[in-house]
Amino acid sequence: MSVPASVASVFRGRVLATAGTCWLLVVGIAAVGAPLLAPFDPLEFDPFVRLSEPGWPHLLGTDHFGRDSLSRAIYGARMAILIGSGSVLIALVAGGLIGMLSAYFVRLGHFLMRVVDVLMAFPALLLALVLMTLLDRSVLNTIIVIGIVYATTTARILFGMTLKLKRDVFVDAAICSGAGHASILFRHILPNLVSPMLVQASFIFAFAQLQAAALDFLGLGLPPEVPSWGNMLSEERVYVTRAPWLLIFPGALIILSVFSMNLVGDALRDNIDPRFKDDIAGV
Amino acid sequence: MLVYALNRTLTLVPTLLAASFLVFMFIHLIPGDPASILLGDAATPEEVAELSRELGLDEPLWTQYALWLANVLQGDLGTSVFFREPVLSVIASGAETSILLATMTMLWIVLFGVPIGIVSAIRQGSWVDQATSGGAMLFASVPTFWLGLYLILIFSVGLGWFPSSGFPSLADEGGASNLRYLVLPSLTLAAPNAALIIRLIRASMLDVSREDHVRTARAKGLHPARVAIKHIFRNALIAVSAAFGFTFAALVSEAVVTETVFSLPGIGRLVVQSILRRDYPVIQGVILIIVVFYMVINLLVDLAYASLDPRVSLK
Repeated sequence: MSVPASVASVFRGRVLATAGTCWLLVVGIAAVGAPLLAPFDPLEFDPFVRLSEPGWPHLLGTDHFGRDSLSRAIYGARMAILIGSGSVLIALVAGGLIGMLSAYFVRLGHFLMRVVDVLMAFPALLLALVLMTLLDRSVLNTIIVIGIVYATTTARILFGMTLKLKRDVFVDAAICSGAGHASILFRHILPNLVSPMLVQASFIFAFAQLQAAALDFLGLGLPPEVPSWGNMLSEERVYVTRAPWLLIFPGALIILSVFSMNLVGDALRDNIDPRFKDDIAGV
Repeated sequence: MLVYALNRTLTLVPTLLAASFLVFMFIHLIPGDPASILLGDAATPEEVAELSRELGLDEPLWTQYALWLANVLQGDLGTSVFFREPVLSVIASGAETSILLATMTMLWIVLFGVPIGIVSAIRQGSWVDQATSGGAMLFASVPTFWLGLYLILIFSVGLGWFPSSGFPSLADEGGASNLRYLVLPSLTLAAPNAALIIRLIRASMLDVSREDHVRTARAKGLHPARVAIKHIFRNALIAVSAAFGFTFAALVSEAVVTETVFSLPGIGRLVVQSILRRDYPVIQGVILIIVVFYMVINLLVDLAYASLDPRVSLK
């Protein structure tokens, strides 16, 4: 099946998932075009318009420093995409390698999967908090920490999937034709894992947004001056009674994006190899 | 079953040791001398030297770990830099709030999650199912602190039905009526978790409903409601009961955010405040206790699971 046709088959009859994809495209465009789209500098203070209501020229109002909320929200899309894709990348590469190698080389697996077990004994948010205690607040560290947290679950899922694939006939065929370990793992097994990994990626992307927002809220995520949706909520929460709109917009942006990503993940999951369907929990 | 239980319990020991070693290493990963980190900025050089000797800091790492573990097993988790009290009693003071919060949260999850999940599975594909499945996913996509803030805004500030923050102990004035302080926090914490349970109940009921014994029950002409409850739900519950256990274990740490929003004096808020205060002995102690609690609950879940479903222990 050609790529456009397979994409079409995922979204056929799924109004919500299609709407979700459109929303994610909007977020992506906002992230790429932030300097062009944002009407104001997201970091510029303007003490004369503190906590102004939505209107002209500040369409979504201003925060308690007089910074333009719409501009901060647009730049926040950058952070959302950056944190989402960064954590997905770390989780899939690290978790994928650990899971696949552990399933393929049984002895190594005994050791590596025990390490994963130990890390999974720490509840996700707690692990993230502990790691953030050891590191400084920065965008990169937030991405690394969230990536590590989800690398553990990814490793366990891909471990199970690789075990199933390893027993398949095509692997025997590859061995008989003289293929080396690297070739079997990456040219024969990996292509079968791409679509379940894509599903896993979309769920990690969604969860990463919530984790990052929670870390921002606790004061242990991105540095406070960085315009992210989580920081917008965290900084303005004391004004919730005076300026409730300041929390509605960033909150709605997070919810819409996470919801959309979950919908996309759900739609993708229904289209993967039925053997793997139960392995990926998602929401 | 007994063999399985013993095996499962024994496999816990190495994981527990490894996890405790990681928790022990936590202090050593922070830049600086462990003794001065544990004592805080106000300590005199004499105190630091004294603690260094007690911890065996000039001994090899393994000896230090053994010393630390021996202390931990005797209930000595060190002294809080901030409170100047034993870490264990600091943590114990937050236990009441955390356990009551987790219990009340589980109550909402069972009360809302179970019936909605059942209806959603029975009416698979109907608008009820689509609405509840979509709604569940939407709730799982909401940041908990955001939900908490708006619950406060509506039900505390607006309607004045529930207090917005704090939690006096049940032993204090007010007694059991103090539980009203936990209504909004527990609902906040329940929302995303109930969403997971709804989807899980739906999925496992649909799995069971495809099995032969269900077809037989239907063929016998049993009432559909009876088939749904006695034949499908009761079997689906086995898988779901495991999820209840995991959820309860995870709640104690997930409560970090909720307890912060509602200023509850629980263990979760203690973690965050200790991190911000750099009270490392408390951070270390809380992590250790949460991890042990999490693992023990998971063990109990596995054992309960095996006793409910004999197929598990035979594998």
